[in-house]
Amino acid sequence: MHTFIEVDHYQCPKGGHRMEGDVFLSRKNSTENRVISVLSDGLGSGVKAGVLSTLTATMAITCVAGDIPIERTAQIIHQTLPVCSERRIRYATFTIVDIGQNQEVRILEYDNPPYVLIRDGELVEVPKTVARLPSRYGRKTMIFVSSFVAQPGDRIVVFSDGVVQSGIGTQAMPLGWGNAGVRRFLRELVQRDLTISARELAQRVVQKSLWNDALEAKDDITCGVLYFRNPRRTLVLTGPPIAPERDKELASIFSVYKGKKIICGGTTATILSRELGKQIRVCLQNLDPEVPPPSEMDGADLVTEGILTLGKTAELLAGNLQGGIQAFSVKHAAHLLVEHLLNSDIVDFVVGTRINEAHQDPSMPMELEIRRNIVKRIAHLLEERYLKEVHIQFI
Amino acid sequence: MKPSKDAKNIHVVICSGTTCFLMGASELFGIEKTIEGSLASRITVEGSPCMNLCKGGSYGKAPFVRVNDTLISTATLPKVIEEIRRQASL
Ligand code: FES
Repeated sequence: MHTFIEVDHYQCPKGGHRMEGDVFLSRKNSTENRVISVLSDGLGSGVKAGVLSTLTATMAITCVAGDIPIERTAQIIHQTLPVCSERRIRYATFTIVDIGQNQEVRILEYDNPPYVLIRDGELVEVPKTVARLPSRYGRKTMIFVSSFVAQPGDRIVVFSDGVVQSGIGTQAMPLGWGNAGVRRFLRELVQRDLTISARELAQRVVQKSLWNDALEAKDDITCGVLYFRNPRRTLVLTGPPIAPERDKELASIFSVYKGKKIICGGTTATILSRELGKQIRVCLQNLDPEVPPPSEMDGADLVTEGILTLGKTAELLAGNLQGGIQAFSVKHAAHLLVEHLLNSDIVDFVVGTRINEAHQDPSMPMELEIRRNIVKRIAHLLEERYLKEVHIQFI
Repeated sequence: MKPSKDAKNIHVVICSGTTCFLMGASELFGIEKTIEGSLASRITVEGSPCMNLCKGGSYGKAPFVRVNDTLISTATLPKVIEEIRRQASL
C-alpha cells in the first residue's frame, strides 16, 4: 500500500506587516511520485523580504525539479537575488525537501533552523554532510545535506527562525523558545496524538510561537510539515446516474466505499435514501442566506444540496483558507464540505450525468454542464493548491 | 420528527432544494419567529431536499411548502401563515 504525503504549512507575519517575509512552496508531481517543498526566509520582513524569499523558493523548486545539482542551484540563487538597498546584501535562507521514488528524501539546508524528523513518536537525528560554497559578500555559505528513506508515519517538520526565536526577552523564556524547546513541543504533541495531521501540527507550532511572543509576532513565523501517512479517502457523490437502472449501482458504490462519504445534491440524496432505506433529515440550525442547509442520513458523513453548495465550495477553496475554516464561527454546508475535503488525501468524485427529466424547465437549463464544470474546478484546486489526489468518475 | 396528522400539530415542510432555495425558501424558515406565538407552538417546521416539484412546472412555481397535506407554490411567508391559520381554525 502506498503512503500518501500530506504537505501543509501555517504562517503568521511579523506584527504590523501584512505580507510574510517567509515563503513555503511545494510542488507535487504525481506521475513521477515526487514532492518538492521549500521554506525560504528573506532578509528582514515585509514586502521586500517576501520578494527575496519568493524568488529563492521559486528558483530552488525549479532547479531541483530540473535535477540541477545543489551547488549550482545555490549559485544561481545567489546571483539572481536583488541587492537589498538598505543593507547592501542579497540574502534569503532556504530549506529544500526533495522526496523522490520509493520515498527517498534528500534535504538541503541553508541557514534555517535544522529540520526535525519524527518517527514513531520519537525524534530521529539524521547525519548531515556539509557542502561549502564559495563565499560571497563576506558570507560563508554552508549547506547541510542529509538523506534517508522515509517510513510510513514519518513527519518532517521545517520552520523559520521566527519560531525558534519566539518569546525572546520575555520573562518565561529570555533566550527564546530555542531549538530544544521546539523539539520537545513537537515530540509531546505527536505522542499525544499519533495521527495529528500536517495541517494541525504546523498550525499548533505557529500558534505556540505566537503565544510565546505574547500574540505580537516579532518576526515572520512559519512552519511546514510533510507527513507520510496512510491515505484518508473521501467519496463525493453528486448528480443522479444517467439512467434510473443505474441507481442501484450508485447505491452500491456508496455502501462499499471505505472512507468518508458525502452526498451533494437533493435528487442524489433521495435516490440513496430510497435505495438504502435511510431517512434524510434537513438540519435547520445556523441557516445561511446563500447556502442551503445540510442534511443528515445514516451512513453518510455529510449530505448537502448540489450546485449552490459546490459553487460556494469552489469559491472558498480558491480564496485564502490559511488554517482551515475554524475561523468561521457559524459553519454552513460549504464550510463543512471544505473541511472534509481538506482533511482527506484522496478524493473520489462520482458525478451522475442524468439530464433533467423535464429539460424544458428553463430555470435550470444547463444543470449537468454546471455540475461537471464545478466539480472539475474543485478537483483542479484540490490537486494544484492543496496537493490532493483526485479521481473523477462519471456514471 | 414524524409528520403528524393530529389536528393540534401542524406540520410545515419547506423545500430547501436548489430551485426553491434560489427562489427564496431561505426566508420561509423564519416562520416560527414571524407567526403569532399561539400558533408558533402548534407548528413543527422541517426542511426537505428537492421535492421534485420544481421540474416541469405542473405544480406551479418554486418555492414549495407543504402545510400538512396542502401544497403551496410560489410560497411566501404571508401565504404560508394564512394556510396555517386556516388549518388551525378547522
Ligand atoms: S427544489 Fe424544491 S421542489 Fe425542487
